[in-house]
Amino acid sequence: MEQMRKKILSLLGPLLILLTTSHVQAYSIFGDEVENFLKEKVTFGGFIENTTGLSISHGDRHFNTSNRLDMQRFTIQPEFNMDMAGWAKFFISWRFVKEIRYSAEAKSRRKTVSPAANAGPLDNTFYDEDSFKPWEAVLDLFPTDLLKIRLGRQFISWGETDGIRLLDVINPQDLTFSPPAAPNLFNLDETRIPSWGLRTLYTVRPVSNTIFEFFALPGFWDQAKQRVDEVVGANDTGDLKVRYGRWSAHPETRIAFGRLFANPIGPAPVVIPSVSRQLPNAGDAWKIGTRITHNIGELNFGLGYIWGFNPQGADQVFKLIQTGPGPGGTTIARIRLVNDRTNIFAGHFNYTVGDLVGIPLKTAIRGEVAFYPDEPYNISEFPGRNCATGALTGLRAGPRCKRGVEDSDGLVEKNTLRYALGFDRSTFIPFLQDDPWRAFSMSFQIFQRIILDHEGGIRNFSTAEKIKQVSTNLTFRVGTGYLGDTILPDVFIAYDPTGYWAVNPAVSYIPPWNEKIKLTLTAATYGGRNKFGSIGLFSEKDSVFLKMRYQF
Amino acid sequence: MKSGVKSQLAINSRFAICGLTLCLALLLCLPSGTQAAEADLKPGDTIGPNNWQRVQGMVGENLLNRIKAGYTIQIKPTKTYRPLKEYIDATEKYSGKVGLGPNGELLNYVAGQPFPKFDLNDPQIGQKLAWNFFWRWLGDDYKTGGAVKGGKIVRSVIERDGSERRADLVSYFIFPRTRYTSDPKPAIPGYEHIDYMQLRVDSYPRDAAGTTTLEIRYDDPKRPDDLYIYIPSIRRIRRATTTQRCQTLAPSEFNLDDINSFNGKVTDFNYKYLGDKKILANISQEHLPFGRKQGDYLPQDEKWEVVDTYVLEITPKDPSYCYPRKVLHLNKVTYDTHWTLIWDKRGEYWKEQFGFFTPVKLHDGREVWSVGDVVIVNVQNGRSTIVTATRAYNQGYPASMWSLATLQSIMRGGSVE
Repeated sequence: MEQMRKKILSLLGPLLILLTTSHVQAYSIFGDEVENFLKEKVTFGGFIENTTGLSISHGDRHFNTSNRLDMQRFTIQPEFNMDMAGWAKFFISWRFVKEIRYSAEAKSRRKTVSPAANAGPLDNTFYDEDSFKPWEAVLDLFPTDLLKIRLGRQFISWGETDGIRLLDVINPQDLTFSPPAAPNLFNLDETRIPSWGLRTLYTVRPVSNTIFEFFALPGFWDQAKQRVDEVVGANDTGDLKVRYGRWSAHPETRIAFGRLFANPIGPAPVVIPSVSRQLPNAGDAWKIGTRITHNIGELNFGLGYIWGFNPQGADQVFKLIQTGPGPGGTTIARIRLVNDRTNIFAGHFNYTVGDLVGIPLKTAIRGEVAFYPDEPYNISEFPGRNCATGALTGLRAGPRCKRGVEDSDGLVEKNTLRYALGFDRSTFIPFLQDDPWRAFSMSFQIFQRIILDHEGGIRNFSTAEKIKQVSTNLTFRVGTGYLGDTILPDVFIAYDPTGYWAVNPAVSYIPPWNEKIKLTLTAATYGGRNKFGSIGLFSEKDSVFLKMRYQF
Repeated sequence: MKSGVKSQLAINSRFAICGLTLCLALLLCLPSGTQAAEADLKPGDTIGPNNWQRVQGMVGENLLNRIKAGYTIQIKPTKTYRPLKEYIDATEKYSGKVGLGPNGELLNYVAGQPFPKFDLNDPQIGQKLAWNFFWRWLGDDYKTGGAVKGGKIVRSVIERDGSERRADLVSYFIFPRTRYTSDPKPAIPGYEHIDYMQLRVDSYPRDAAGTTTLEIRYDDPKRPDDLYIYIPSIRRIRRATTTQRCQTLAPSEFNLDDINSFNGKVTDFNYKYLGDKKILANISQEHLPFGRKQGDYLPQDEKWEVVDTYVLEITPKDPSYCYPRKVLHLNKVTYDTHWTLIWDKRGEYWKEQFGFFTPVKLHDGREVWSVGDVVIVNVQNGRSTIVTATRAYNQGYPASMWSLATLQSIMRGGSVE
C-alpha cells in the first residue's frame, strides 16, 4: 500500500509540473490578469538529473566484483520564482528523488555489523523522496531598501570555504548519498538540507557593506531524519538498528561499536553496544545566529556567533550513558551519539592582493575562523585498565581513569579553534588552452583544527585513531573550459599530511547546440596510510559516476 | 610619396611628369579609398559583393569579407540624437575646471562631458577623448536588458559550425557621482568616490542562474576595481582579482573590459587619436533582436547609416594585458562606440565588435538612445556572440542595491529589484 502511494505520488509530481508549466507558457484558464501575472511575474526553472555510480575499488571479501553499481539516483527539481510586488518575492522548489540501491552492500552490512541481532541494513529505497513538502520555500520581504527579511524553508550559508565545511554548519548536511570530499559530484548546495526559519539582513551602511545579520531556525518544523550525517553510523531513534550511510567507512575498516571496550580479537564481543542518537540532528531545536560584516578598504570581514548548529558527521561523539549485564556474560553499553548543541564564535574575511613588492600576485585571499568553546571529544584509556588498581584489563581500551575512578561518560570538553585559509587565483596558461585567455581557476585551501587544551587519550571513538592537537587538511582545485566552455575539466584534491588523500576529477560536456544538457563524468578516489584514519576510511569506496542533467 | 615626387621634379622634370602621370593612373586604378566611399554612399544604396569597395574601411574586416562573399546591406538616412539638456547644463557648469593629471587622471571633475572643447592637435587629445567616452551620458542608472522583451539580456553564442547556445542575464549600472535627473544631484552622499557600480545577474540556463557579479569602479586611479561574485552552487560570495577582467567570459567572446566596448579603468591605458572617420553603423535599430539566419550573426532586416566618428587607439600600460591594441570608433555626438577592433599580441586581427543603437524613451517621454544588439566576432576561432541588451534608463534604483546584502539574497531565476 505504502509503495503504491509512493508510486502514485512520484507520477503525480512530474504531471503537476508539466501542467503548471503549460499554464505559464501557453494559455490560462484563469483570465488575462492571472495570465499576465504568470507571464510577467513568474519564472520557472529546475532540472532533471540521473546519476549512476560504479565502484572501481579492487574489491574485498564482500565486494568481489569490479563493476559494482553503487548509485542510481534520479532527481526532478522544479523551481518557481514569483515577483509578487516590489517589496515581496516568493520562491518555491520541490525535490523528488527516486533511487534504487545495490543490495549487496546491505547484505554485507548485515554480515559485518555485530551483533547481528542489533544491526540492520538500510532499506533499499532509503532515499526516495516523493513528498510535496517544499524543498525550499522562501518569502522575501523588503520593508525598506535596507532591510531584507527571508521567511521559510531555506539555506543559510556562512563561511568562505569550498568542498569542506567549517562555518557552513547552520543547515544540516545529507551525507548518505554524497561521497566525502567530492564536490565535483554533488556540491555543497546539493547536500545541505534546508531548514525552516527566519533570516534578516539589515544594511547599516551600504557603501561600506556594513550589514547586520540575524537568523533564527526554530527547528521544531523540521523532521529529524536518520539520513543526516550518516558517515557516522548509529542506531536510530527507536529500533536500535545500527545504520551507516553509503559513504560511511567500509564495514571491514571500522571497529564495530563497543569493540573498543571489548576484546577486539576475541571470538565474540564481550561488550554489546546499544547505540542511540540524541536528537535533534536535522534541526528540531533552536538555532540562532548573528553577525556583522563590514568593508575597510579592500578588506571585507565579518564577526558572528552561532548558538546551536549541525555538526559534521565526523564531529559527533559517543557518550557512554550506562553499562549493564548482557546475555552470556557480556556487558551492554548504552552509548549515545551526541554533539548537537554547542556554540561557535565565527569570523571571516576576504581580501584581494594585486602586486606585492612588484610581484603580480593577483590573488584573492579568504579565511574563516570558528572557535568552539567546550567541544566534546571521546576520551579513553588505551589500553584499558582497572581504574581502582591500575592493572591492565587486557582490553584494547577502557574508560578514562580520573583520580582512580572511571570517567562516567567517556567525554571530555576542549576549547577548539578551527580555521581555514583559501587562496584563489585565475591564471592564464596559454599553451594548455585553445583560447589563451580562458583562465584556469586555481584554489588552494588549508584547514587546521587546534585543540587548545589538548590531552592524551582523545581519540576517534569508532576507529581508535588518536586525535592530535593540531590536525591539518589541504585542498587544491583547478578548473577551466575548452572549446567555448563545451568541455569543462575540474579536479579537486584533498590531502591530509599524516598520509591520506582524496582526488575528485571531473569533466563535463555541454553540447554546443543545447545549453540545457550537461553530462559529467567524475570519480571519487581515496587512499592513504591505512583504512582507519582521516579520509583513508573511504579507501575502498573508489567510484566513478556519470551524471546527466537536463535544465529547464 | 608626395615628397618623393617633389625630389624627382627637382632632379629631372621629364621624369617628374612621367611619375605624376603614373601616380594619377595608379590612383584611378586602386580601389576606392575611405574618403571616396564616404562621399558616395546615399540612403537607398545597396552594397554587396559587386561593389563592396564602397564600404571598405567603414566596417570591420570580417563583415567586409562577408559582403564580398555575398551578404548585402542597405544604406538609410542617418539619425541624429541630441544630448539631454541636463547633461549639457552640467557640462557647461562643470567642464571649465576639469583638467588632466600627470598620469592621465581626471582632475576637478564633477559631472557632464569633461572636455567639450578640445583641439585635435592637442598632444593629450587621446586621453581627453577617452574621458569623454567614459563620462558620456548613460543616465543616472540603467538596467541593461530592461527594454528588451522579457526584461533580460539575451545572449546567443554561435560556433564556427553554426551551433548555437543561449544564455540570459541582466545587468544594472548606477553612476552615483554623476546624476543628472534623479535626486540627490550631482552625487549620492557617501558615494562621491565611486564612478559606477554594476550588478550582473545570470538568469538562464538554470545552473548559471543566480550567479551574480558586483563590480565597483573607484575614482582613485590607484585603487583596483572590487569584484565580488556570488556563486549559487555554494551560496557564497567569492572575491575576484583584476586578472579576471581579461578572462574570456566563456562561452561568449567578451571579457569584462569588452562591456560597453571598452570598460577598462581609463588610467590603466594609453590613448592615441587616429583621426576622424565616417563609418557604417546602425543607430536606429528597428527590430530587437534583429532578424538573422540560425547559426549566423549577420543582420537580415536592418539598414546601415553613415556616422561621423573619432578613431581612438587604446594600448595598455600593463604589457601582460590581453588586448595590446584596441581601436574604438566613437560617435561624435553621443561618444558611444559603433565599431571596436582588436588585435592580438602577434599583431594579428583578433576580434571585431559592432553595436547597434536604438531609440528608447525616458519616463518623461523624451527620446534617448540605447545600445540595441551587439555582435562580437572572434575571427581567429570563428565564434561569435550576439547580445540584445537594450537599456531602461533612470529606474530610480537605490544605491543600496549594489551591496553584498543583495548578493546574499539572490534566488535562482529571481530578480534583484
